[in-house]
Amino acid sequence: MAYGDKTGHFEHLKLPMTWAVMGVVALVCVVAALLFLGDRREEVDSSGYANRAGFDTVAGFPDKVLAYPVHKIGDGTNWFDDYFFAIRENRKLKMKVAELTQYRDLYIEEKDINTRYERLLNLRTEPPVETVTARSVAVSRGPFANNRLIDAGSNKKISFGNPVITDQGLVGRVVGVSPDVSRVLMVTDVTSHVPVMILRSDARAMMSGDGGGYPKLDFVRGKDSVKVGDQILSSGDGGVFPRGLPVGEAVKGVDNVWRVRLYSNRSAIDFVKVLLFKDFSQLPNADTILRAPPVSDVLPPPALPAVQSASSSATATSSSAAASSATTVKPVIGATTSAAATSVVAKPKPKPVIPKPAATASSSAAASRPAASSAAAPVTPELKPYVPPSTPAADPSGQN
Amino acid sequence: MKMPGMLGPRKRPFGGTVINRGVRASMASKVITPWDWILAPALMSVALTIVLATAFQPFGFYLPEPVSPFILAFAWPLIRPSYIAPFVLGGLGFFLDFFWGAPLGFWTFSLVLVYGVLALARTYLIGQEWIVLFGLFLLTEFIFFSLCVLLTFIDTGAVARLWGVVEQAFATTLMFPFVLILLEKYLHSDVRFM
Repeated sequence: MAYGDKTGHFEHLKLPMTWAVMGVVALVCVVAALLFLGDRREEVDSSGYANRAGFDTVAGFPDKVLAYPVHKIGDGTNWFDDYFFAIRENRKLKMKVAELTQYRDLYIEEKDINTRYERLLNLRTEPPVETVTARSVAVSRGPFANNRLIDAGSNKKISFGNPVITDQGLVGRVVGVSPDVSRVLMVTDVTSHVPVMILRSDARAMMSGDGGGYPKLDFVRGKDSVKVGDQILSSGDGGVFPRGLPVGEAVKGVDNVWRVRLYSNRSAIDFVKVLLFKDFSQLPNADTILRAPPVSDVLPPPALPAVQSASSSATATSSSAAASSATTVKPVIGATTSAAATSVVAKPKPKPVIPKPAATASSSAAASRPAASSAAAPVTPELKPYVPPSTPAADPSGQN
Repeated sequence: MKMPGMLGPRKRPFGGTVINRGVRASMASKVITPWDWILAPALMSVALTIVLATAFQPFGFYLPEPVSPFILAFAWPLIRPSYIAPFVLGGLGFFLDFFWGAPLGFWTFSLVLVYGVLALARTYLIGQEWIVLFGLFLLTEFIFFSLCVLLTFIDTGAVARLWGVVEQAFATTLMFPFVLILLEKYLHSDVRFM
């Protein structure tokens, strides 16, 4: 309705404009706050980004269009570089080939030895991981979120959690997948935590992103476990990343905190490789595990107590064996039939601990027993006349 | 729509509709629709965000990543209170949440809160010199990014790198001239809102 053209039924109705707008603001704020509280990112899982797959598919298209000329210009620039600096580069490459040939021979030799060792030791080596190459089309690099969109998705078998690397080192992992576009959570994101190890000392640490280019090393233990320049690799702990991916070098920040200079920042992140690595925690189905029957239903019942074998041996053997077992199991002392002995021994009734009778033991033992029982006597509050412990043993029925 | 006192609406190639009162065109007032001062700048902001997110590193440097909707969150309440603007700002916030991979509601809440505070204090802020406005812009920006850091801490338990926050705030500050352009176009000139 035009300004000043109030001909409707509500022409005299005047709302306090500012307060009405504030009501709208409050409504939007409440909705946003509820969404924020319901979308916690401290545990990055596949369901957290599932509702963004459609948006990423749509957003990926203009980014692909915009990235196309950029990639073309970049490729053209590289072509010009290659053309005009071919001679210089050729000289460099010849020197490099001569140097690397020695390393290649050494590598072949060492690999052969390593393979033989693995066979000898019967080591279970990790299977080779399939990879998918993709190109980065959009990047979010602010302090609050570090993500990338790459132009490959579930159509190329990419799934949630797959690690992403460049030719230099680790970049991040896939946290959202749509058919043609995937979202990669960079290792520099504030929600990213990567278990790493220091190659020199084999110490473990957790690399936590903070939105900057130098993620922190948390939980570093041990003296001199980290030194400046130490190579940092993924440790494989937790199973999200495979072990041994190059991550970066250790540096000490101005805040005296150990940080990682990422190898992936050595050059622009353009082409990336997605490792179709299956996290071992993804292999078993959690629902199946929870629905699994208890162990007691699956495993055979536990073996009978050792008492049974003792009693059966006692009945099978002569009376001398029965006498030898009399110190442990009293009821079978006088048993003569195996049936009676088994029925008694199978379910032994709990009975109070009573000092062993002196009649079944040697005379030296009998001499030491009263002293032991007299040591326990102060438990009774009243002083009573001394009663020899052999008295209850005289009546065998009193033991049951 | 024909209004009283009008000889008839006439479309300009650029800008809004001109009220023809039979006077010279330069003296006539323009009627501003929500498209002019809300939707069109919002779309420009979206386009700028998408363009600056291109994976392109000229000379090894990343492109800047300003929070361009913050310019609108600052300028819109100063131009005039509107029922549409908070919703559009919320939509822009959702766009940033999805596009930048932030938690849902993160940018929405921060931007709309800035809008609300400035809408409340509007009568004290309009008509000031540009330098006063710039100081106010910096103050608002400081509060805005502090809120973002706080929300990130609540969400992840980690404090975002403050130097990175300063970098993003600086990139946003470079867009302050757009605030002046919007105010000059829709607040200080003789315009009428539809």
